[in-house]
Amino acid sequence: MKKQVPLLREFTKGLWEINPTFKQILGMCPTLAVTVSAINGIAMALATTFVLVFSSLMISLVRKLIPNQVRIASYIVIIATFVTIVDLVMKAQFVELSKALGPFIPLIVVNCIILGRAEAFASKNGPLRSVLDALGNGAGFFISLFVLGSIREIIGSRTILGYQVLPNGFEPWLIMILPAGAFLALGLLMGFANLYIERKKNLVRESLIAQYKRVGREEITDEVLKEAGV
Amino acid sequence: MKQISLIVATLTIIGIIAGGSLSLVNNWAAPKIALNLKAETERAIFLVHPDGKRYEEIKNAGLEVYKVFNEKDSSVGYSLVYDGNGFQGNIKLMIGLTNDLNRTTSIEILEQSETPGLGTKILEAPYKDQFNGLEVNPSIILVKGAEPSNPNEVQSITGATISSKAVVAIVNEGITKLKDIENKGASE
Amino acid sequence: MIVNLWQAQVEVKRKNMETTTTIEPKQKVYFDLTTSPHLHSRWTTSKVMWFVVAALVPSIAAALTFFGWTQIFIIIVAVAFSVGTEISIQTIRKKQITWFDGSAALTGLLLALTLPPNFSLSATAIGAIVAIGLGKQIFGGLGYNIFNPALVGRAFLQAAFPVQITTWTKPNFAVDSVTSATPLAALKFDKIFTDTASMTIGNIGGSLGETSAIAVLIGGIFLIAVGIVNWRIPLSMIIGMLVFGGIFWLIDPQNPTPVFHIFAGSFLFGAMFMATDWVTSPITNKGMWIFGFGISLVLIVIRIYGGLPEGVMYSILFMNGFVPLVNRYTKPTIFGVAKEAVKK
Repeated sequence: MKKQVPLLREFTKGLWEINPTFKQILGMCPTLAVTVSAINGIAMALATTFVLVFSSLMISLVRKLIPNQVRIASYIVIIATFVTIVDLVMKAQFVELSKALGPFIPLIVVNCIILGRAEAFASKNGPLRSVLDALGNGAGFFISLFVLGSIREIIGSRTILGYQVLPNGFEPWLIMILPAGAFLALGLLMGFANLYIERKKNLVRESLIAQYKRVGREEITDEVLKEAGV
Repeated sequence: MKQISLIVATLTIIGIIAGGSLSLVNNWAAPKIALNLKAETERAIFLVHPDGKRYEEIKNAGLEVYKVFNEKDSSVGYSLVYDGNGFQGNIKLMIGLTNDLNRTTSIEILEQSETPGLGTKILEAPYKDQFNGLEVNPSIILVKGAEPSNPNEVQSITGATISSKAVVAIVNEGITKLKDIENKGASE
Repeated sequence: MIVNLWQAQVEVKRKNMETTTTIEPKQKVYFDLTTSPHLHSRWTTSKVMWFVVAALVPSIAAALTFFGWTQIFIIIVAVAFSVGTEISIQTIRKKQITWFDGSAALTGLLLALTLPPNFSLSATAIGAIVAIGLGKQIFGGLGYNIFNPALVGRAFLQAAFPVQITTWTKPNFAVDSVTSATPLAALKFDKIFTDTASMTIGNIGGSLGETSAIAVLIGGIFLIAVGIVNWRIPLSMIIGMLVFGGIFWLIDPQNPTPVFHIFAGSFLFGAMFMATDWVTSPITNKGMWIFGFGISLVLIVIRIYGGLPEGVMYSILFMNGFVPLVNRYTKPTIFGVAKEAVKK
């Protein structure tokens, strides 16, 4: 029997531990393409989260009714339905945003985060947990896109959410709002994140070694580290 | 056999539900989307003809072109939508023309994907305003470095020659096409 | 049980420590392991770097003559920030600090010479930081980088500040026919040809180090003569340009002659100083020919069909990416092995 994870944990794990962008490295296409400004990142993340939450809920509700052979096809139809709804609503109500995000709203269908969560989580868990998991992943995606969008907007156009934050004397680095800038910014962010994690791991490892020497335990494996919460 | 019918039934039901809910949303959204599109076209048409109050689409022209009328319902000219290749992608323009097609009233860039900060200077006043009341006969000419000396000359943007050239080429080509249609219409 | 194991381990460790302490530090043997090929030569890294710097002196002199002595500041800033970035990153990563081998300084100098005259000093500094940081140190330092660091910095600046980097100041003794545009830009946008004589001397618009063909050639021939630069790369680039440029010229005489292509822009500078970088060029002779021809082919396509007038930087960076592949497929045949063994 699977160990039951606390409900809150299903949400919080998506924020960092299995962050879609930085840990699962999923959904790279919208991450790189739309984050030329913070507002675009926010809109994209919200649209994705909407689709993610509702499709996870639906899939988790019907998971026992769908024959195994056609589960992926069924998931895709469900996801595509919600994506089309988002697309239509945005075109009707938020014309400017829908223009800025262009083809990337319909492309949420192929965003691996959604199918990934559907297959890995929603198809195996109840509705409540699935929604919490979807919300957590959506929030994680939101954080990544907002951070990336902010960095690119600040350096590439001197503004954040449309407000100027850097002085006129600062010559904006146009590369940051070009595709190359997306790769550079994301790569460096990931690099620094991994560096931080590595450093933290080493610190915990060292303190554990010291601790275990006193207690007397065989060796520090990855499992031991995981238990210690690294 | 039972398995197959189950699969077919599941997919059919999902398809019906998905299609049904989408048609509901579309019923609500479609008129709004159409309204948005119309408002956008209208805005663009009157941007190049600020004194315009009413417009009529010229049908069967093979071009997206509108005749614009002012308050007194007399024609002030044409608004022509025309596009062509820029430096990196398509440039779509709204070109305002006088009734005799001899001058542009002004131009408006509807869509473009030029290099930010360089090609996008075609959106800015120093370049764009050169098209206000510009002579188009025999055609618009792009000059580099020097100030325009003739009424049909436009000065190029430093460092963005290709984008500047593209806009002029699109305007010239659009006007030629429109004139051809006018002539044909007159002869018929 | 666990406790026992632990104790056993500690004992083993203690034994190991005792044995190691018996060895005197002097007797320790170090094996310096690097990836092949292992070349042994009289050239140390720093010696090579200073020779290349010496070879650049004519180009620097030409730049200062034609564009004014104040251009020295661009060079100083680029070199200082390159060396500074190298030291900072090596300090942060707790690696051995190797700025004195001159490779960072050379990268800075090469970067400066590819920049337009009177280029903003703050942007120059950014370019130098990117060149060393993203072009070299992020891969692990000298010898591990895939792309030419100076060109990485230059490409970053091209994308980040497209207006400034294509603003060419008039040289001091400019003739009227070519104002401030580079010969290639003048040709592409206005169909004005620049004569080969002015391109040889360098009294034309362009990047600091690239305008004077004669200065570049003096430096390049010096490097070939002392054996630092392998003649195959520049020669294959020039032959490649004569062939491919010639084909385009024969198809449509509207296109410039291959000779114009060789003297215009940074072709010669790239051929002598950029493409021949030891780290980012092929190691086999056959590979060098492929590399040189490849650069010329990509370059001619960019110059004739591309939106930009110049493409030496992009074509070299592009071919840099192919170097590992080229090395792999031009590996010399192994002799002294039975045919059956090779087949297996």
